[in-house]
Amino acid sequence: MLNEPSNGTQAPIEYDGITRRSFLRTSAVFAAGLTAIAAGLAPLMKLEDFTSMEEFMQKYYKEMTPEEMAKVLKRIEHQVEREYGIRPHVRDLKPMNGVEYVYCLNLSRCIGCRKCVHACVAENNQSRNPEIQYIRVLRMPHGSLDLDKAVHNYDADIVPEKGHFYMPVQCQQCANPPCVKVCPVHATWQESDGITVIDYDWCIGCRYCEAACPYWARRFNFTKPSIPKEKINPDMAYLGNRPRQQGVMEKCHFCIQRTRAGRYPACVEVCPTGTRKFGNILDPESEVSYILRTKRVFIQLKEELGTSPRFFYYFDV
Amino acid sequence: MKDGAKNSLVLWALGLVFLALAGAFVLNLWGTTAPLPTIPPVDPSIISTATVRQSYAELVRTGADTSDFECYVCHEKDKPPTLTFDEKHNLVVPSEHSDIVMGHGRNNRNNLCFNCHDEANLELFQTRDGRELKFADSTELCGSCHGPTYRDWEAGAHGRTSGYWNRAMGSFTKQDCVSCHDPHSPKFPGRKPGPPPHPLRPLPKVAGAKTAGEH
Repeated sequence: MLNEPSNGTQAPIEYDGITRRSFLRTSAVFAAGLTAIAAGLAPLMKLEDFTSMEEFMQKYYKEMTPEEMAKVLKRIEHQVEREYGIRPHVRDLKPMNGVEYVYCLNLSRCIGCRKCVHACVAENNQSRNPEIQYIRVLRMPHGSLDLDKAVHNYDADIVPEKGHFYMPVQCQQCANPPCVKVCPVHATWQESDGITVIDYDWCIGCRYCEAACPYWARRFNFTKPSIPKEKINPDMAYLGNRPRQQGVMEKCHFCIQRTRAGRYPACVEVCPTGTRKFGNILDPESEVSYILRTKRVFIQLKEELGTSPRFFYYFDV
Repeated sequence: MKDGAKNSLVLWALGLVFLALAGAFVLNLWGTTAPLPTIPPVDPSIISTATVRQSYAELVRTGADTSDFECYVCHEKDKPPTLTFDEKHNLVVPSEHSDIVMGHGRNNRNNLCFNCHDEANLELFQTRDGRELKFADSTELCGSCHGPTYRDWEAGAHGRTSGYWNRAMGSFTKQDCVSCHDPHSPKFPGRKPGPPPHPLRPLPKVAGAKTAGEH
């Protein structure tokens, strides 16, 4: 460093080119920089729940032994109880043998009342604000299946509206799911009963699956989901409706906590018109087998993509 | 002199920038996002699984008032009621039954009470093939004309099902026709839809999003 003494003062003492003044000046700037960094990192102080060591060290879903899974379920129950003040019943339900789920939706019957949308939210502990909904009801003009003409935020006083039909879209549980192919960490996969599931503890939130899904069926938790304490559904499943973290994907899982216990999904239960039909396609006596055998017109949405959905739209003829 | 001045200028500027940054971080100038707009909770009726109507069998089961089905409180036995029609051959619904809207079949084709009700015993139904049915068995009455729909209903494909899809694991309920359809005007009634999704930012106005059906 070059220093010139000013008039009437002594030449500053230099050590290896550093004067007292330049040292002070530099350290002042350095201190200011540190302050800025500290201030910038201050929000970290507000982080409430650090991931526990157990959660951090948790194994991949498919590699966990039943004992390890039992521990994980205990941990989730504790977490939910601490956060929502309600002791849930979290289960890890496995697919049944000889069962493959299929969903049939009668487009002649749907009146677009959105009861399924909100029953789904209530059943599956979805965030209320910001809203996360698995089902999107599209209002379409008669005589067309052009999705460009679809409106999903219609707000009529009375539905059905004249000249329209309604097409609810949710996860189609593809037999050839593009979302599973793109997941870089195998956090989503297809189970033997046809349900594509997500391990919320394994998801890294890259949203590739959201981009890959041609049915806009996947939802991302941009914020920590907000669910009123009294609205929590305590019947939970590990791969199903347990509360999600910020930064993970979620989607329709055919109400795994209900269907793998033998019950109908919430959207089927609530549909006032009997539009929605659900069951085991491997059972020839089931409603869905009957429908696929006897009804005539089917649409697998965007069939040409080769995703082969397990979700069939049909018309009464 | 030149270099020293430059140095000190750069350092001063850097210091100021750092302090300004620190101030901005402390005041959280970037971090504060606008609070989310409040979303009113969904009306419990939207997620209720109740049927639109209650069938006679359901009324009996829940112990509700079935006095509407006691015909001979007003009617006389062994005296079939007479029906009156206007000049367009439409049934004139008597004022005692003003709650009934006749709308069964297109163009009012099913316009005669005794197509279904038994004129000899008003507390029974009659089918076109001569069977007599109780009020609780109305589904069979409907099925006597609506064959394909009845077939679908029996298979679980028409109408609501609830309970267990896996019959081995629990019970399963099918609803009667009249739990959803008003037998006198069976078209399924329209209803107010549940609230549309609340986006974080207002969406561009969609033609017809608020008004009921153009096209």
